[in-house]
Amino acid sequence: MEMNIQNVTMTYQNGKQALKNLNLDLRSPSLVGLLGPNGAGKSTLMKLLSAALLPTSGSILVNGEPLRNAEQKLKGTLGYLPQDFGLFDELTVFQFLDYMAALKGLTDAKSAVRAVIRQVNLEEKAKARIRTLSGGQRQRVGIAQALLGNPSFLILDEPTVGLDPEERIHFRNLFSQTAQNRLVLLSTHIIEDVQSVCDQIVVINHGSILFAGTPEQMIQAAQGHVGVFWEEEAFRDDSLHITARINTSQGIRCRAVAEALPAYAQPEEPSLEDAYLYLISQEVPK
Amino acid sequence: MKTIRLFPLELRRLLSSRFTWLVSGLTALSPLLGFTLYKPADSTTMLSLFLANPSLAGGAAGGILFGLLTVYELDKAGRSRVEVLTDAAVSPLTTALTRLLALTAAALLTLAAVMVIWLPISQSRIGSVFDGTDYVFAYLLFMGLALPLAILAAAAAYQFTRRMDLSLVLFAAFAFLSLTVWADDWQLCWLNPSVWAMSDDFSNFRLFRSVAYMRLTWLAALAGIWTLSYLCIRRFGKGLLGSLMLGVRRIYRPAIALALLACSVTAWAFQPFYDQSNPDLSAMTLDTLETADGVTCSGRAADVRPDLALGTVQGTATYQFQNTSGQERTVSFGIDPGYSITSAQANGKDVSAVLTGYQESNMALLEITIPADRDIELVLEYGGLPKDWNIMSTMQGEPELSPKYLCLESQNMAPYLLNVAAPEDTGVFPAVIDITLPEHMTVIPFGPSDAEILEQHEDGTLTWRYETSGPGSILYAGDYVREDIQAGGVTVQFYYGRKHQTIMEQAKAAEAVREVIEYCTEHYGSPSFAATGSLKLIQSRVAGGGYATTGASLLDEADFTANNLESAEKGAIPGEVMIHELVHQWWGLGNMFDDSDTASPWSSEGLTVYTTYRIVKDLYGEDYAKEHYVDQWQTAVDDYYQNFYVRNPEYLSSLPEEEQLRISNSLATMRRYSEMPLMILKAEQLAGGEDAMDQILYNLFNRELDWSYPYLTYQEFLDACGLTEEDLSLA
Repeated sequence: MEMNIQNVTMTYQNGKQALKNLNLDLRSPSLVGLLGPNGAGKSTLMKLLSAALLPTSGSILVNGEPLRNAEQKLKGTLGYLPQDFGLFDELTVFQFLDYMAALKGLTDAKSAVRAVIRQVNLEEKAKARIRTLSGGQRQRVGIAQALLGNPSFLILDEPTVGLDPEERIHFRNLFSQTAQNRLVLLSTHIIEDVQSVCDQIVVINHGSILFAGTPEQMIQAAQGHVGVFWEEEAFRDDSLHITARINTSQGIRCRAVAEALPAYAQPEEPSLEDAYLYLISQEVPK
Repeated sequence: MKTIRLFPLELRRLLSSRFTWLVSGLTALSPLLGFTLYKPADSTTMLSLFLANPSLAGGAAGGILFGLLTVYELDKAGRSRVEVLTDAAVSPLTTALTRLLALTAAALLTLAAVMVIWLPISQSRIGSVFDGTDYVFAYLLFMGLALPLAILAAAAAYQFTRRMDLSLVLFAAFAFLSLTVWADDWQLCWLNPSVWAMSDDFSNFRLFRSVAYMRLTWLAALAGIWTLSYLCIRRFGKGLLGSLMLGVRRIYRPAIALALLACSVTAWAFQPFYDQSNPDLSAMTLDTLETADGVTCSGRAADVRPDLALGTVQGTATYQFQNTSGQERTVSFGIDPGYSITSAQANGKDVSAVLTGYQESNMALLEITIPADRDIELVLEYGGLPKDWNIMSTMQGEPELSPKYLCLESQNMAPYLLNVAAPEDTGVFPAVIDITLPEHMTVIPFGPSDAEILEQHEDGTLTWRYETSGPGSILYAGDYVREDIQAGGVTVQFYYGRKHQTIMEQAKAAEAVREVIEYCTEHYGSPSFAATGSLKLIQSRVAGGGYATTGASLLDEADFTANNLESAEKGAIPGEVMIHELVHQWWGLGNMFDDSDTASPWSSEGLTVYTTYRIVKDLYGEDYAKEHYVDQWQTAVDDYYQNFYVRNPEYLSSLPEEEQLRISNSLATMRRYSEMPLMILKAEQLAGGEDAMDQILYNLFNRELDWSYPYLTYQEFLDACGLTEEDLSLA
């Protein structure tokens, strides 16, 4: 599976420009973490990749074919979990997934449904009406429908929202397993999840890509820009972007990113979160 | 393919919804409204009361309910944000089509349930005249087809607007139009077809056909509109126009929409059931055509071959003309507006036959040029689907031609001569009519002549022959029982539908007929038919009343329903329309009244309605007669004098011509049927009471006629009463 985004610009009818001249190539097997602050354009990008929107300009190629022509092919191979979605409350979990399996044109729908129900740990709720499920269980149904039929391209927008930590870890591992021979695009605010499972990272802000590469490359880019210091040493220093404040017996120990570390800061090995914050801090809002 | 695969799942999902079950349940109950609140069929036949009204109510209520369900279901996917998942898997166009099919299937399942649930109820209420075919067609056409139409309309509204509130308003307006403004136009009332009556004893195929035609016309229209809205289904985050631009790229989609709309418009414009007669009921163009000078008609014959399965007529008419003018002449005929002439030959040679396009009183003007020969035999081959008069379009069901019943009137039977005189001005146009029908049908000419079997065919049909002498004739045929009744010195041939035999016998209808005839004979003397010794009383398919001619009276089947005949309130006597039509044998046949002034309230109806009131008073008592006759007349007369256009006639002329005609026709009818009987009642009081009026009417009925002007005039009536016009004024 290969998706090529070429000079894509997306401007909504209200005039808001969500993406600007975006270029990106995604190729399986890969689990791509999509990072960016709220309103950066992540959801717009995922809608474009799922053919829910058409770009204002530029093109998206699906295995080399323009998406407009390959819409049906794409939808036949796509698993999509949007951030905000609904379910048919009157159906049972099994019936809903069976319905979605039919929409996807799966030949052995029953087996596929049973498989994903098992994957998301909903066997006990398979015959329960959706209206009776908790928020976390509904989210799992959403994940299950995205996984139906082993799609070769999986788009997951904040998939672990509403899940408890144990479930979150279970699912990120599941996504990782899924990505062994597929293309998975995972949008999340939880850097830890990205760090744990993604082999590629795309950071996007204000409709533009700030970074695209491996987590190691992203961390490498932040080398020498992360340091720790005592809070009183950095009184009114606006050049620092503080990422952590830890109360200790000697005072408040701060961790920060900066283009140039001040002398009082002790350099530290950056984490992925530091690297992300460093990238974002470099971006000057336009 | 995907739609077909998705359909059962979408249907299952739909049937899992509580709202769907609520809508289906209410729809199943909705025929109840036809017994109480919503009774558009105002005839009193059992099928009108217990089949037409419930199924029409079910259609109107069910249509509205399924329209609401459609909007709710289409909006639900967006409202609950399920469509972000479904749209990622399949095109929203596929989803829309699948939902439409599922909603339609749910409607059809509901209809099937309704038909099963209401079957025993209908059977028990309708009684012995219940007919399974009528039941199935009534529920399918009156109720069933309303549901998919409503679904298409509501779905289209939603797909255009994508807003639940707007869609509901649009759908409600569309339904409201059908139930109100369009209710009088049989082609426009998509939700509530114009069904005023269903026949108990005979068939309803003509009615079913016209309702089906209306439904299919709307089905094409709404399918076309839905297809247009389908092109506007929002995709790729675009608005209505953006989505439409994407939708029309596949050219077959708009082509299908336009083809469906074109089919609908064509079906609407070229409907085969009603003619284009001049709406001016006082128009006399066909009656005042220039006579073909020097041409007389000495004989006619017609071989009529109805196709009862198709409801069409084919025939051959032969006319013997004498042309003494020595020139070609144009002979005018009135033919059924639904017929065409396939061949016209005079003395074996083709002659010009032109349908002029003018239609009046349910006749199309046909002009044929006959040669200058002295003796001419004109042979016309004609046929088609008989059309009904356009003024009757809200009383669908005529002309019925089916294996159970047939009525052919003059121009339906054969081209009707308009401008040719009879030899030596005798007024007699001798005619021999042959008609071939299945052997179970009895042929009854409406008049003094009788039909006889001429030939029996191997295919189980019989050719009947009868003779007539008027320019036109009316023929009834059906599966009839004949009962001969001796009353007032004559033999009454009482014909009624075989399906009704048990009810007629239980109600002793024959005795009732005898009583009415004897009442009139005793009070007014022997009627004109007494001279011929017989009178035919023919039970007709429901027609909203009856009529009479010399030697024959037509009685509406609605007067013989089990309800009517067994009504304790009315005693054991069949309906009052039957009395009315029988009374016409005394008042209103032959030369009794001069009908040339159509606006005059003095007509056969005044004395007939008055006499009916007198008989009803004798039979049911004074209170009943006052409530159902005198009070009704008084209300109508009061309304008349309060009418704005009566008080301000100068404003009537400023209305559209069609509206003027409607009002003036309505007022003229009221004056004949209500004002004049009330004036006669007033005359009765002023002249000394009922006995005095009976004597006056006896004298008038048996007066010596002035053959130069044999009509009974209003002045003669006033003189006989010793009164003046002012004495009887009600103003």
